[in-house]
Amino acid sequence: MSSAVAAKRLLHEYRTLTNDPPEGITAGPVSEDDLFVWEALVQGPEGTPFEGGIFPAEIKFPKDYPLAPPQMRFLCEMWHPNVYPNGSVCISILHPPGDDPNHYEHASERWSPIQSVEKILISVMSMLAEPNDESPANVDAARMWREKRAEYERIVRENVRRGLGL
Amino acid sequence: MSEQTLNIPQLLAVALIGFFALRWLFSASSSGGDRNNNGGGVGGRGGVASRRGGAGGGAFRVDPAHVDQIQQMFPQLDRRDIMWDLQRNGGNIAATTERVLSGRGLEAPPPSFQPAQPAPAPRSRPAQPSTSRSPPPPVHPDLITRYNLAAKIREQGAASGSMPAAAEAEFGAAQRLGWSTNKDERQALLRKRREDMILAARRKMEEKDRMAT
Repeated sequence: MSSAVAAKRLLHEYRTLTNDPPEGITAGPVSEDDLFVWEALVQGPEGTPFEGGIFPAEIKFPKDYPLAPPQMRFLCEMWHPNVYPNGSVCISILHPPGDDPNHYEHASERWSPIQSVEKILISVMSMLAEPNDESPANVDAARMWREKRAEYERIVRENVRRGLGL
Repeated sequence: MSEQTLNIPQLLAVALIGFFALRWLFSASSSGGDRNNNGGGVGGRGGVASRRGGAGGGAFRVDPAHVDQIQQMFPQLDRRDIMWDLQRNGGNIAATTERVLSGRGLEAPPPSFQPAQPAPAPRSRPAQPSTSRSPPPPVHPDLITRYNLAAKIREQGAASGSMPAAAEAEFGAAQRLGWSTNKDERQALLRKRREDMILAARRKMEEKDRMAT
């Protein structure tokens, strides 16, 4: 029952993203046979070391979406303070409300049914541009971002080129 | 008299049987402790391990397939930490996954927790991936390999320079084309958009390279 609601909502979001795609974002189900697994491409924001890059990510939705948030994982090398080494994205919009162990996130920043895939992907783009140093998912990347910015940017640029097969 | 002579062998038999029974019990429990300890000592730890093993037999047993599943999602996690969390929440993969994703991380199990298979020393919480933990980083194929675009790039190379006119027209069409009622058309449009996005980014980067040289 609830999974039918979720599928309906996902199809609706898919349609919105198809008809009115936000700049630098392409997203949709891997196959419409399973609306709960999506694949997205996110463009690296301009004026950042991610500029020019295209980053594929997998988005997995729970059966009780949109009550619970999806999970997002990059399917490429992603050297970023808020991305776990396995590619999982750690940003507040993907965190369920009322479940903030560290009390630095406002409830409004976290997941709620009024958010959407589009808003997640836009948040991820701004996360690429401005890492959140408060809750590093990749401590090594966070340290490098703080202390050796040039090296951090070099790694990111390398990954951008490698991702494009150059 | 006859009762007494009968009683002494009986007592002896009871004592003997008791002795062997106790011996058997102790050896069984200490060898069990050995097994649970992966060949560790038969001291106090062995006793603890065998007691825990006995309790675990009756209680919940972690399915290795579940552990694998979670580890596939989070290769940075320690196998033992996953087992401990699953053991405590009754094998609820969703709960463990959520816990990890919420950033709380998994608790390190107490040293007495000895899962069935050999586990490395308790280390690595997702929140603190340090240098001593070294999971091989996932190696991803580049986008060209991932979406099978090598042929399209060769085509472009043949047409040389910027976007071929045909592709440009097609690209425009794809942009204009909105939501289709046909599932396959939708799928095709999505694929097309993906490919265009990647190829355009690649072209741009190549152009930048040419400018630089």
